[in-house]
This record gives sequence, structure tokens and C-alpha cells, in this order.
Amino acid sequence: MTSTDSDRWGECMDVAVQIARKAGKMVQEAVKQEKRVRSKSTPTDLVTEADHQVEELIISTLRERFPSHRFIGEESSAAGEKCILTDNPTWIIDPIDGTCNFVHSFPMVAVSIGFAVNKELELGVIYHCFDETLYTGRKGHGAFCNGVRLHVSKEKDVSKALILTEIGAKRDPHTLDIFLGNLKKLLSAPSHGVRIIGSSTLALCLLASGAAEGYYQYGLHCWDIAAAAVLIREAGGCVMDTTGGPLDLMSRRVVAAGSQEIADYIVQQLQPISYGRDDHDP
Amino acid sequence: MSDLWQEAMDHAVGVAKKAGEIVRDALQNEMNIMCKSSSVDLVTKTDQKVEQLIIDSVKEKFPTHGFIGEESVAAGQSCLLTDNPTWIVDPVDGTTNFVHGYPFVAVSIGFAVNKMLEFGVVYSCIEDKMYTARRGKGAFCNGQPLQVSDQKDINQSIIATEFGSSRDPEVLDKIFSNMRKIVSLPVHGIRGSGSAAVNMCLVAAGCVEAYYEVGIHCWDIAAAAVIVTEAGGVLMDLEGGPLDLMSRRVLAANNKTIAERICKEIEVHPLVRDDAPIVTK
Repeated sequence: MTSTDSDRWGECMDVAVQIARKAGKMVQEAVKQEKRVRSKSTPTDLVTEADHQVEELIISTLRERFPSHRFIGEESSAAGEKCILTDNPTWIIDPIDGTCNFVHSFPMVAVSIGFAVNKELELGVIYHCFDETLYTGRKGHGAFCNGVRLHVSKEKDVSKALILTEIGAKRDPHTLDIFLGNLKKLLSAPSHGVRIIGSSTLALCLLASGAAEGYYQYGLHCWDIAAAAVLIREAGGCVMDTTGGPLDLMSRRVVAAGSQEIADYIVQQLQPISYGRDDHDP
Repeated sequence: MSDLWQEAMDHAVGVAKKAGEIVRDALQNEMNIMCKSSSVDLVTKTDQKVEQLIIDSVKEKFPTHGFIGEESVAAGQSCLLTDNPTWIVDPVDGTTNFVHGYPFVAVSIGFAVNKMLEFGVVYSCIEDKMYTARRGKGAFCNGQPLQVSDQKDINQSIIATEFGSSRDPEVLDKIFSNMRKIVSLPVHGIRGSGSAAVNMCLVAAGCVEAYYEVGIHCWDIAAAAVIVTEAGGVLMDLEGGPLDLMSRRVLAANNKTIAERICKEIEVHPLVRDDAPIVTK
């Protein structure tokens, strides 16, 4: 990496931080208003006008500043834009992670901005809209929350682990069987517990901050993981595929942990749930 | 006419704040973690220290009052609720969270007279959220009034619940069977903060429509029960009927429609009541 590259991504980070804060304020205002809610793939997969407006703000600002860059955004993808990651510098955006929480004013909602170059995740910025905390991570430069350095938990023993997960949008009986089966296995390790907060991004931030030892999910998207993966790795943790192989950003599944031992344990327990891929035609 | 119990409530808020400081300080240091009934039922010196702080301060100011506290009961004290003004305290609700630095840890102080709950104070100390409610005077979080959600449709609800600290396969089967029924309704989602008191405050704040759990204790719910009802919510026993503080189960909801819908799905498994006589061998 040349010094020019590192300057260039430094500038990207600064702009991302600015726009994340601005977008976060927009979300904070929107949370107080009447919300127009629609469903997407299932009745529990929600979207609001705020999701669209916030994504538009983020993309238009970044596009103006970096006209040659590409964009992958949750609402743009829903509108039919292709979700293919090329070598081009690409922003990967979730304008409101935790839309269901947003609709209910449940205080776990985040703006997530990831950035990849040559298909490598380079930086991540996540703004916790209710707490007004900013998480940032840059490859090789550490991960921070409001300027304080983040470290994952180094616990290796699953019997002392707190594990986080999310349900995903599918609620059919077969999916629920597997989802609950996975959860029961991990609870019965025995682990200290399992928590669900309704935002993959913020759950991954909690992992990066050392408050939990492991995370797994089927059904999330590339824009939910892109930023947080940088944070977790820079905080000393690992992020991988649910099969134990390297992270596949478009695979709609992930395992993350503070230690390899906890990650391996989780991988071994999991039965897969298929949600297709982000980079397939709908 | 001045409120007879306002002084007690002000005291509760003050001691909850002090307790919260102790909890936050303890998070910075090495923790001595002990196990109670199993390897996942945790207690720390902080639980014990905070409870002692509260007991001592209450005894000094209100020497005739009764006290039911999680750690005192664990040490053999009675859990019987009499007509006497009684403080019902969980010094650290969410001990597992506390041990991990996971941000939902609450000091819970409830107060009952003639077996009726008069006020509740729940201090979610990592978030610095002080939830309070005095019977007939509304519920508040950091001074802002609380109001439950107005959602009547269970399919558009978020339900909070926990898996509990039992790892007994039969107990877990029942917990998962109940959870499966709720998720399949369907609901918008399930959430669990890891603290019963915080979950109930989320109902009061309108963030979730309901919270249910089998396995909690009276000290987990006494304070938050007042907060829920003063925010416009309802409390029920999971077998129907009014909340029974010592029954080891709770259902708190934004309204009767949601509460009854959940009650319909949940199967309760029997647990030893908090006020059951202690069997000596």
C-alpha cells in the first residue's frame, strides 16, 4: 500500500465519519415522527421512508466527493441495483440497521458505512443513533468507540461465553426449527447466555467491545457486516463463514468471535439456514 | 396531604444512584465470580456489597421496615411478604451481563405496604437511565414521562423474554416450546436484554409490547411492576388472573389485548414459589 493510498483512505474515513453523524441525526429526528412502514421479503422484513432518505443522503454525499467510487446500499439493492463487489473502491451501506427497532423506537438502531477496495474491507464506520456513539475501524489502524480503543474478549471457554444472534426475516416452521435448534445447542453448551437485540451491526459492535464472546447469524446482508467486520478484526477478533471457512461477504451468513476457540465451537454446533446470496439475481 | 412514602422513594433513588456507582466502578476491576444453583447462575461480591449498602441505609432511616433481598434470601432470610412496609430489592439484576460488561445491569428497589406495591425504582446503571414510578403519580425515565405502546395487533409486536439460568433439558424444552409459539404468531421480533427489570422498563417505555418469563423472582419484578402500570401497562399471571409476585412468573404488556394473546400461547411449568416454606431436613 503506497502512502498515497493510505492518505486517500484516511480522507474516505473522515468523510464517512461526517456523513454517519449527519445521517444519525436524521434517524434520530425520524424516530420521533409518524413512520410509514412497508414489508419487503416477508411481513417481518420492514422498510420505512427514512431508510430511503438516509441512504440517499449518504450515497449522494459520498458520490459527490468520490465520483469514481461504487455503491452497494440496502435500499438501492431492493430497488434492483446489482449487489456485485468489484475491485473498485466500493461503499457498502446500511442506512438504518435495526429497522424493526426503529419502527418500535427500541433503542438499538445504527447507520453502517463500510468500504472495500480490491474486494478487501478497508474501513468501517457505525453510528449508534440512540446512544450517539461512533464506532470506527480502519485496517491496520485499530478499532475505536468514541475514541476509546476496542478490544474483544479473549475468553476461550464457551462455558463462560455470552453469545449474540438474530432471527432473520424467515418465520416458516422449518427455518424456526433450525434457528431454535442452533440457539438451544449453544445455550446448552452450557454458555452463560444468548441475547437478541434486533440489530446485527450493533451486536457485532458489542462483540468488538468485549461485552460478548460470540456472534452468529443466517439471513443478514453484506451491508450489515461490511463495517463491523473491520471493527472486530481490528479489535483482535475473528470473522468467518458459518462453515469455518473465510468470510464470504455475499453469503448472507456469518460467525464472529473474540477468540478462534469460541468461533470454532459455534461453527461446529450450527445447522445451516439458506437465505440465498446478495450477489445473485433476485 | 403529603405523601407518606415520598421520603422512602427519595431515599430509594439516592441509594440506587450510589449503588450504580459501585457497579460501574466494579466493571473496571477484576471480578470474583461465584456460582449459586448452577454454573450459569452467577453472583459476585458486588451483588453482596450493593445489597448490604441498601439494607444498611434502609435500616438506619426506616428501622421498622422489612426487607426482602436476593442475596439475603440466598443466605437464608425469609421471603414472606407481610403487611409491614417492605423493601424488595435486587441489588444487581443482570449479573451475567455485569460479569461480561454487557450494558444492561439494573439496581431494582421495590416497596410494598399492606402487600401493595407503592413505588419502584430501577436504575439501569451502565446506560445511566433512572426509571421511577410512584403509585398514582406516573412513570418516568430520567425525568421524562413513560407511556406504553398503543399497538393492539400481536403480529406487529416485539416481545421480550429470556432463556433463564436453568440448563435442564426438560426446562429448556418448555422455554423453547413457548418461544416457538410466540415467534410463529408471527410477531415482529423477540428481544432479550438479560435483565428482567430492564425488559419491563422497555415495556413501560413503549419499545416492546410485552415481556414474559417463567423463572424470575419477586425481587426482579417488584419495582418495575409499578413502572409498567404507571406507564399505562398491565400485569398478569401467565396462567390468567392478576400478577402473583411470589409465583416465579410474570407477564407485563402494553394492554389487555396483547397480554391475553400471549397468555393463550404460554404453557407454564411449575417452580418453587418464592414464599414457599423452607424445608429443613
